[in-house]
Amino acid sequence: MTLAPHLDSKYIVRGELALGGLRDLAPSLRYASLLTEDGFSVVSVAGKEFDSDRFASMASSTQALADAVARELQLGDNEFVIVAAAHGHVVQVRVDDHPLVLAALFTDKETIGISLTAARRTARRLNTLLMAN
Amino acid sequence: MAEHVILFAGPMGAGKTSAIRALSEIDVVSTEAANSDRTVADKPTTTVALDYGEIGINEAEKVRLYGVPGQRRFDFMWTILAERAEGVLLLVNADADNPVETAIEYVKEFFALYERGGIVIGLTRADLVPRALIEEYANALADEMPDVMIPVLTVDARSQEEMMTLLMTLIANIELKQAVADSIGVGVGSGGRRAR
Repeated sequence: MTLAPHLDSKYIVRGELALGGLRDLAPSLRYASLLTEDGFSVVSVAGKEFDSDRFASMASSTQALADAVARELQLGDNEFVIVAAAHGHVVQVRVDDHPLVLAALFTDKETIGISLTAARRTARRLNTLLMAN
Repeated sequence: MAEHVILFAGPMGAGKTSAIRALSEIDVVSTEAANSDRTVADKPTTTVALDYGEIGINEAEKVRLYGVPGQRRFDFMWTILAERAEGVLLLVNADADNPVETAIEYVKEFFALYERGGIVIGLTRADLVPRALIEEYANALADEMPDVMIPVLTVDARSQEEMMTLLMTLIANIELKQAVADSIGVGVGSGGRRAR
């Protein structure tokens, strides 16, 4: 049986590496999580005040709901999810070819455009890292 | 239009998504994700937010069916969806570990909805255990909650007919409770039958 990503050291180690780079791309990062699409936290960085399991579960539900909306409205594949609030925003992107979602919380000091670019770049980098032997 | 909002709850693998697919008259809105936890339920996907289906009873009445994820890590979805619901159709797979305890745990979790409307228990996969457990459930519920009346039926979650029987049992209980409350002038709280 294949090891689930949240239990697989390959995903954990390479996920940590990628998330570390995300903070360099967007210094206002408060918290970031790499999660399985069914809501298990693989790895997270920063934001010790957050419950990583709960954040991962909520990000999983949010992602699935956004995907369902895109599907129901026949908009094609959902590319990303943004939750923008008064004091910050959450950006979520899928990691291509893997059942993984990158969810990152930024303060309101970052523009959504920069946050989204940083999250997408990190997801692509993680994909490359996971492809390597 | 009057509407009933019914929640489908129960552990992962009990058949909630199958039940809503069997009942719904519209294409079910699903939020399935690849299942990383095959030890709990050996199935390729699992619901991570909700399932949604609808049944039109007549021109003026509709039943909205919401399935919640079975795993406790998604309990925030239970809270969100329970706010609008007036009853719970609780599915428990009889071949799981400790199914009776699991059923009681879920009844306690959704007890506010029992008080507001009602709960029925559908025992799925009952053909896979040596004998029917309905009496065990009834006795355990009576021991744990003596004043609570919850119907328990065995069902095949894939069967439209059997699920409709269970659903109508729940709706009858809800309507009875509302009629009693109306007759003595006591509200049954928010989330009851809605008209819009």
